[in-house]
Amino acid sequence: MRGKGLALFAVAALMASLLFVLPGASAGPTRLTVSFTVWTFAVDLIKENIRRFEQRYPNVEIKLNDHNWGQYNDTVVSRFVGGSDAPDVLYSSDHWLQQWAAAGWIVPLEDHFPQVKEMAKSFAPYAVDGMTYKGKIYGLPYYADPMGFFYNEAILKKAGFTLPPATWEELLAQSKVIKEKGLVKYPIGFGFSLQEPFSIEVFISMVYSRGGDLFDKDGNPVFDRPGSATIKSIQWVRDALKAGVLNPESLSWDVQAGAAMRAATQVYSISRASALWAFNDPRQSKEAGNFKIALMPGSTHQTVGFVRFYAMSSQVPKRGKEALDAAWAFLNYFGGPGPDNSYPVVRKWATDFGLGFAQMPLFRDTEILLSFGKWVDVPLLQRIGQRYSKVKQGLTPQFAQWDVFTRTELHKAYLEQQTPEQTVKNMAAKWNELRRK
Amino acid sequence: MARLHEHGTMTELALGRAAARPRRRAHVYPYLSILPALLVVGLISIYPLLFALDLSLYRNVLTEPLDHPFVGLRNFTEAFGSYYFLRSLQTTVKFTALIIFGTITFGVLVGLYLNRAGRLAGFLRVAILLPWAIPTVMAAIIWRWIFNGNYGILNALLVQVGIIPEYISWLANPYLAPLTLVVTHVWKWGPLAAIMCLATLQVIPRDLYEATHIDGGGGWTTFRFITLPFLRPTILLLLILETIAGFVTFDLIYVLTGGGPGDATTMLAWFAYAEIFRFLNLGKGAAMAFVIAALTLGMALIYVRLLRSEEYTT
Repeated sequence: MRGKGLALFAVAALMASLLFVLPGASAGPTRLTVSFTVWTFAVDLIKENIRRFEQRYPNVEIKLNDHNWGQYNDTVVSRFVGGSDAPDVLYSSDHWLQQWAAAGWIVPLEDHFPQVKEMAKSFAPYAVDGMTYKGKIYGLPYYADPMGFFYNEAILKKAGFTLPPATWEELLAQSKVIKEKGLVKYPIGFGFSLQEPFSIEVFISMVYSRGGDLFDKDGNPVFDRPGSATIKSIQWVRDALKAGVLNPESLSWDVQAGAAMRAATQVYSISRASALWAFNDPRQSKEAGNFKIALMPGSTHQTVGFVRFYAMSSQVPKRGKEALDAAWAFLNYFGGPGPDNSYPVVRKWATDFGLGFAQMPLFRDTEILLSFGKWVDVPLLQRIGQRYSKVKQGLTPQFAQWDVFTRTELHKAYLEQQTPEQTVKNMAAKWNELRRK
Repeated sequence: MARLHEHGTMTELALGRAAARPRRRAHVYPYLSILPALLVVGLISIYPLLFALDLSLYRNVLTEPLDHPFVGLRNFTEAFGSYYFLRSLQTTVKFTALIIFGTITFGVLVGLYLNRAGRLAGFLRVAILLPWAIPTVMAAIIWRWIFNGNYGILNALLVQVGIIPEYISWLANPYLAPLTLVVTHVWKWGPLAAIMCLATLQVIPRDLYEATHIDGGGGWTTFRFITLPFLRPTILLLLILETIAGFVTFDLIYVLTGGGPGDATTMLAWFAYAEIFRFLNLGKGAAMAFVIAALTLGMALIYVRLLRSEEYTT
């Protein structure tokens, strides 16, 4: 009897607790939760944007989590592979789009939101290319930038130079003079760490600026041809390291190359163009105002233009129409014009952090142009973005794997553990192997 | 008679059954008792193992979700035949040898020092454990700053003392980067080894030392013939732990070097991780995980056998 009583009590307690746990059991209107995963950058502003969004859409609750940029792809992949912890909406990049889409982790936006096709007409073409897989658009831009070549004008003047280097050879020559004059120990520094996803964009920019290509129109490697721009770029890095003008720490640096620029212990760097905003921010550097952007050294001055964007995971359609509606409200607010056609989040990133954008109507926005004018030569930036920027070649499902492999191979070449020729041969072999698979 | 006999037999049978029931219960009870634990072990150890074994026999690349052909042992043969596997195996073996040497030497020397009665001994015994109490990821972040080639305190210290003429790029040098992993590992796990050695040293009877002293034995003789034999089982245990640690080290690499520069710090566990999470090749990654497990298990078995023979001889 006693046992029966206890069992009944246990069942009653369990049911009572379920009442609290089950959705819809609590009083008041239900809020639909959308999980949002980002890499760690200006999380306070992201939270502020989320707060504004939630005020506008009180029935949607955004659950934010962030991962380190260097390990972002690995972490997100592990969450997708795990299956139970995949986010609803998330940051992605043209690096990873093809891989994620081929694995079925993210879905084409236009399959669920036909309005995206029309909206995409207002985005810069290279950004649309970077968000497209098999002819379908998978995202709305978070930000889009060309890779920029930066220099510290004050140090350049002290060294007796009035203009930034126009070629890679000239960069080497200027750096040697700066070093000899004792102005800085290492005039050049790049973020070449194996963990730094930007490192491949820096390297490809170097190749593009010499007029080189990575692949032909059929996707076959051309970087392994004798005397290619890739081989010359690798050789240039080796020469710069040997001459003691390129900081050897570059091989373990990610964003630290930017820190060295801001501290004026370095004169030249390559990064996303919007990084110049932080360099020229007096709160972040005593040298603010001295940093300039220039055309990428080289014969063509071409550079990589990239896009990072908001993607939607395949779990959202499975959750039903309400989840899809909430996801669209979010995507439109964060990456699109939003409900008031004012680009609330894109504008905020541009004015508060100098992030570039792909939403073309904003190129004529006076508020943004004025804000950009405080830290960059706007006409030059526009010229780099529109005339010299090129999407990364080889954006296929195997690009992300090849990128990781290539970073290691490039390191070995820089460290003179193998020749530039052997390096490009290994890179080409890996590309072909991944392609065959 | 027959009826009686029958009756008697039935009674006996009934009694027999009644007696057999508690016996059977007693027989089944231990198995029932450990069943929950067995189920948990099965769920968290055996099922994943079998699942991984199954994975390793298929070509399972995540970017091709609909194409998983059976490939038998090809994932294993491809891994064994690759330059990167052999290179990471070589790096793992070197790293393991160095951390075994470093951790045990540190453990024995510091254990001996702490075993001496002194005013600071109590404090030091607690303080020494601090690195061990710090999570590995935190330790790696701390050392990443210490080893920073431009602002790191290690460079500043060595230049000031005059050991090196200029700052060294520790993490970007293919010969020094593996050593940074060894130093960080020994800093993190050496204290535990020291405490284990100290615990052993404290049970060595004092009169043995006194007898050696009376017989004219010096410091080295005492260490060689008294301390070391007592420490041997502890050292063997540390040998097992450090070997396993060497083969499964991942977190340090993840934070400190990312496998670089080049492939200088790419070890087996990192290689398996990269196969799964960077090359999205679950089949090959699972095969690699099996290889690591087999190597570690094989070495652990050899050590355990050594440990057992040690127990019989002491």
